[in-house]
Amino acid sequence: MTFRRVLIANRGEIAVRIARACREVDLESIAVYSDADENAPHVRAADRAVRIGPAPSIQSYLSIDAILEAAKTTGAEAIHPGYGFLSENAAFAAACEKAGLTFVGPPPGVIARMGLKVAARELMVAAGVPVVPGVTASDQSDAGIESAAAHLGFPVLVKASAGGGGKGMRAVRDRESARDLIAAARREAIAAFGDGTLYVERLIEKPRHVEVQIFGDTYGNIVHLFERECSIQRRHQKILEESPSPALTPSVRSAITQSAVAAARAAGYVNAGTIEFLLEGSGDAARFYFLEVNTRLQVEHPVTEGVTGIDLVRAQFIVAAGGRLPWTQGEVSQRGHAIECRVYAEDPAGGFLPQAGTLLLYREPAGPGIRIDSGVVEGGTVSVHYDPLLAKVTAVAESRQAAIARVLAALRRFPVLGIRTNIPFLIRLLEHPDVRSGHIHTRFIEDHAIDLLNAGDPPIEAFAAAAVAPHGGAVPVTADARTAPPDPWSAIQRWGR
Amino acid sequence: MAILEDGRVVVDEVAVVTRSIGDGEVRVGADASTVAWVAASGDIRWVFVNGNVYELDVRPPGGRRRATAGHSSLAAPMPATVIRIEVSPGARVSRGDTLVILEAMKMELPIRADSDGTVTRVACKAGDLVQPGVALVEIE
Repeated sequence: MTFRRVLIANRGEIAVRIARACREVDLESIAVYSDADENAPHVRAADRAVRIGPAPSIQSYLSIDAILEAAKTTGAEAIHPGYGFLSENAAFAAACEKAGLTFVGPPPGVIARMGLKVAARELMVAAGVPVVPGVTASDQSDAGIESAAAHLGFPVLVKASAGGGGKGMRAVRDRESARDLIAAARREAIAAFGDGTLYVERLIEKPRHVEVQIFGDTYGNIVHLFERECSIQRRHQKILEESPSPALTPSVRSAITQSAVAAARAAGYVNAGTIEFLLEGSGDAARFYFLEVNTRLQVEHPVTEGVTGIDLVRAQFIVAAGGRLPWTQGEVSQRGHAIECRVYAEDPAGGFLPQAGTLLLYREPAGPGIRIDSGVVEGGTVSVHYDPLLAKVTAVAESRQAAIARVLAALRRFPVLGIRTNIPFLIRLLEHPDVRSGHIHTRFIEDHAIDLLNAGDPPIEAFAAAAVAPHGGAVPVTADARTAPPDPWSAIQRWGR
Repeated sequence: MAILEDGRVVVDEVAVVTRSIGDGEVRVGADASTVAWVAASGDIRWVFVNGNVYELDVRPPGGRRRATAGHSSLAAPMPATVIRIEVSPGARVSRGDTLVILEAMKMELPIRADSDGTVTRVACKAGDLVQPGVALVEIE
């Protein structure tokens, strides 16, 4: 390695995971922490730790100055950004380079280019990567937009060219309703962005989210490490990921991974990255469309590590140090099945509201084929300041059914008390017949909310156990002692977005 | 519900054997075959059984707090920062109206009126860091 000392510019489970990889390749690791994280597991996982500021991220984990200062004072030679925070910030990557630090990730120019949605899309079109058919009509009158929509074929999505966040966006299903919906989208676009220009694209209904892990080195080698399916999402955030995707036939897998390699090549990609696609239809007729490039290590990278046997973080260090990719395309294979569940401190019945507080009891499961990536401990606190991800439970087994059985058994032995988590929800999700058979799409949770949110009544065993809780004293627990039952209907209304 | 001297707990006239393994782990069920984990927090007992979590209130039914009819105060569900206040004292609001927007864990959390009424007090301002359980807005 051209560097010996790595500063990990992150917190939580990913910082712990990176510190472990450092130890395996004999790199010194330096953790950074805010005032809220002084005793956090990631601080203990690293060889040294430096305080970088107060609890709010903007003054600590998102502060480029504070992180570069910490790197300077500790003599760090490289920075691993993890995911989130500054990982996809091109200015940060450039500032690292300027300070003479190796940024463990793609070059700043690649991060910047892939962060611009329109430019990235144009680059992919030029590289022959399929994108969702769409057009910014040259005739921007309502009639012009309507004929552009008819040309693409209904249903379409009409959205503000300038926008994001769902503002000025309308699904248009037929010509009859088109005129009113286009006018409404235009009004919203003008109100939100001061620009009424509309973009029309084909609406992909109930798509799957399938992404491909890619890896490049500075010698121009690019390898794909197969796909991950991440269709199960809530609030547009993945909670369950697996590989292989149950939806890909061998020919579609071959096509999507080749497209991902072409996309990475067009982008001049170096280090670990992910090309995200939407998948429509099924069997060999399934079609995929480029969504975006994530220029970082993904939360769900253990799924890929599970089926390929590759350590992605180790490879990130090798490539960042100027080395060649440790494997060729022909040397990597996808074996068995891996499935990851993200355990969040959140209340599914309360609109998936994040939860904060103290972990009164927290016991991780273990066993063959079970991997836990976590950044919390029993007695620790979950702070309001950061993402409420507690742990990732990844099961690897010889088949999809065996992997589901394995991850379910692990979740049923993963007691977390004192803060509400999504563990019971994840279990109901994995027990759902459509998840078991692989019939999933990105709106699955919304469509099946009633089934998934119904926790049922506590069994008599729960009352019996409560009666003998330690430190609580033996007290009778009345049979109607249950706290207000979650009401799935009101929870769904509270989702409104 | 009764706790017998031999460690059995009687729930709904069914005797359930419980055996404490220690450190919050207990065995329950007719033949003590089910593992459960329990933790106490004030009047709440948290119980984990087979992947389900229950929060059981151990106060006798009469002793529980009840919202006073006709008056409600709305509080943050968790520590959060106030982003925006949408109402002022005297405003007429309907159930479901957004009163205050909080931010916590990178997400916006709207606090909505739980009944129709008149705002009698706004007890926070934009930028405040608020704690759970402390009233933000009162409605009558």
